[in-house]
Amino acid sequence: MSANLNNDIAPGGQPSVQPQREDVQPTAPLKKPPGPWMTVWKKFSRNVYAMTGLVVVLIFVIAAILAPLLAPYEPSHIDLMFANLPAGTDNHLLGTDELGRDIFSRLLYSSRISLLVGFAVAAASVIIGSLIGSLAGYFGGWLDTIFMRFVDVMNSIPLLFLNILVLAIFGSKVSYMIMILIFTSWMSVARLVRGTFLQLRETQYVEAAKAIGVSSWGIIFRHLLRNASFPIIVNATLMVGGAILSESALSYLGLGVQEPDTSWGKMLSNAQEFMLIDPIQAVYPGLCIFIVVLAVNFVGDGIRDALDPRQKAMVSRRRLKQWRKDYSK
Amino acid sequence: MTEYFIRRVLQSILVLFLITLITFGLIHAAPGGPTKIFLAPGLSQEAAKIQAHNLGLDQPVAVQYIKWVGGLLKGDLGYTFKNHLPVGQILWPTVGNTVVLMGVAWLLSLLIAVPWGIYNSTKEYGLSDQTASFVSYVGFAMPTFWFGILLQEMFALNLDWLPLSDMWTMGKEGNIGNLFMHLILPVTVLTLGFLAAYSKYARSSMLEVLEQDYIRTARAKGVKERRVIFRHALRNALIPIITVLGLDLPILVGGAALTESVFNWPGMGRLFIDMAVAREYSVLMAITLITAVVVIIGNLIADILYAVVDPRVQLGKGGRSA
Repeated sequence: MSANLNNDIAPGGQPSVQPQREDVQPTAPLKKPPGPWMTVWKKFSRNVYAMTGLVVVLIFVIAAILAPLLAPYEPSHIDLMFANLPAGTDNHLLGTDELGRDIFSRLLYSSRISLLVGFAVAAASVIIGSLIGSLAGYFGGWLDTIFMRFVDVMNSIPLLFLNILVLAIFGSKVSYMIMILIFTSWMSVARLVRGTFLQLRETQYVEAAKAIGVSSWGIIFRHLLRNASFPIIVNATLMVGGAILSESALSYLGLGVQEPDTSWGKMLSNAQEFMLIDPIQAVYPGLCIFIVVLAVNFVGDGIRDALDPRQKAMVSRRRLKQWRKDYSK
Repeated sequence: MTEYFIRRVLQSILVLFLITLITFGLIHAAPGGPTKIFLAPGLSQEAAKIQAHNLGLDQPVAVQYIKWVGGLLKGDLGYTFKNHLPVGQILWPTVGNTVVLMGVAWLLSLLIAVPWGIYNSTKEYGLSDQTASFVSYVGFAMPTFWFGILLQEMFALNLDWLPLSDMWTMGKEGNIGNLFMHLILPVTVLTLGFLAAYSKYARSSMLEVLEQDYIRTARAKGVKERRVIFRHALRNALIPIITVLGLDLPILVGGAALTESVFNWPGMGRLFIDMAVAREYSVLMAITLITAVVVIIGNLIADILYAVVDPRVQLGKGGRSA
């Protein structure tokens, strides 16, 4: 643009020489600046831990989906002749358990339930939590009071006890387990959304939206919830890990998944009984839980770091320290 | 201050009341109601009626609830359904055992985590800081019971250094050295979990304080770095940690249940799991209630301590409604 200005003739001036116009091509319309999602993704993809976590989670998810194709044996096929085989014998990649069931196949099938519970609980808790949190945060008043007291109550009971109590009363089923885990984990999202709404509902754009007659629901969904979406995503990611851990704990206690279904927690409780005979069996399922939860947490932390504008400053502070050190030498 | 205190106590009582309603309601929402669960399956109609009458199950739910709460206020926790033992007789010894286990683990982790977090905040991204961040990632992702099982395999079965489970070796009850050996493994498991959280809290809380203006002022006027850390920063950094400790209480009790179950520790958490499987609802209700009381009192103390430690907190003006 500046080149254009210089070459233009001053008003009233006589051009002595025809200005040599350089081949100024019409500037292409400026590219749309990258949206917030793109910015976050760019920062996220530079984070080694987060990307590793993402890849690991994807591998586990794909393995869980393709479990029937990948599993070399039927996971509940009992063959007492081949019980407690060590790893690698007879095409049993990781050996067999105390009933002769192929451990590798069982791990694959277990991942289905563990991941299903993890993702289902996180997704549903986010939806319910956002809904309740936005109602409480936007409308305030008695709605908010009831909500806060309820959260107080939920925070005063150890949630593991509540899970155990409900499963013991109503019976152990995967669907019940998912429901009770949702019931005991929506609070953190709700608190988060409520807090954000309390801040945002006083902003000018909300006032403007109100002034032009946007309905309350319109404001909540179009303006407020979108602005709260990134912290919600972070919270949801970390919740997946928590739900997987809770599921494994409940199944380990015998209150979650029941035979013939299997999950990593259930496999661990079996393995503990036969610890003296074959201790290595307790390692695999626990390792699976550990790796998946670690990977999910890396992803969650990666998103949070990508969202945090202070993150950049922290890196530069580190560089500054280095620079100071070098400089003083 | 007094006004705030009274309001908080009243609030706590309300929460407690709601908890009794929820626990009682849950048990009576069970399919078929408690009557079906409590009575032996092969009982004839008349015998079932008599037994239900003896257990007080034939009365309306509201009456049962009022009776139960009335009993609680007098310190009567009710009776178990199977052997008709007083609940308190089963419950109180396990409470003590849990307190021993949790107390040791909790104190130990605080003693390690807080100084460690503070040290890490002064040397950000140093080796020790990286280690702490590694420990907290592991602590958050590791299933507690799996860690417990691994430790058992390693130190009890393979190396045979430590006892596998339980609180005492048979016939050595009351021997402190024996108790100590039994404590090591479960305490290690619990400490890793707490350490993960607390060292992170301590570090971030310290970092936040170290960025404040008054720290810069202190440094600018030439206060020694050690005095800045301990005198100026630490006292302010401890305040948020206190709140977190209060909020974490339910996790403390709940987390202990799993560890107790792995190590066969005769504590309250394991009793809860056993009784849940056996469907002894009076015990379950009592445990839920006791933990709730502990948690509520803990939060109350944390809130009040918060006010005492930090003079900036203005209580009674609705400042901390959230």
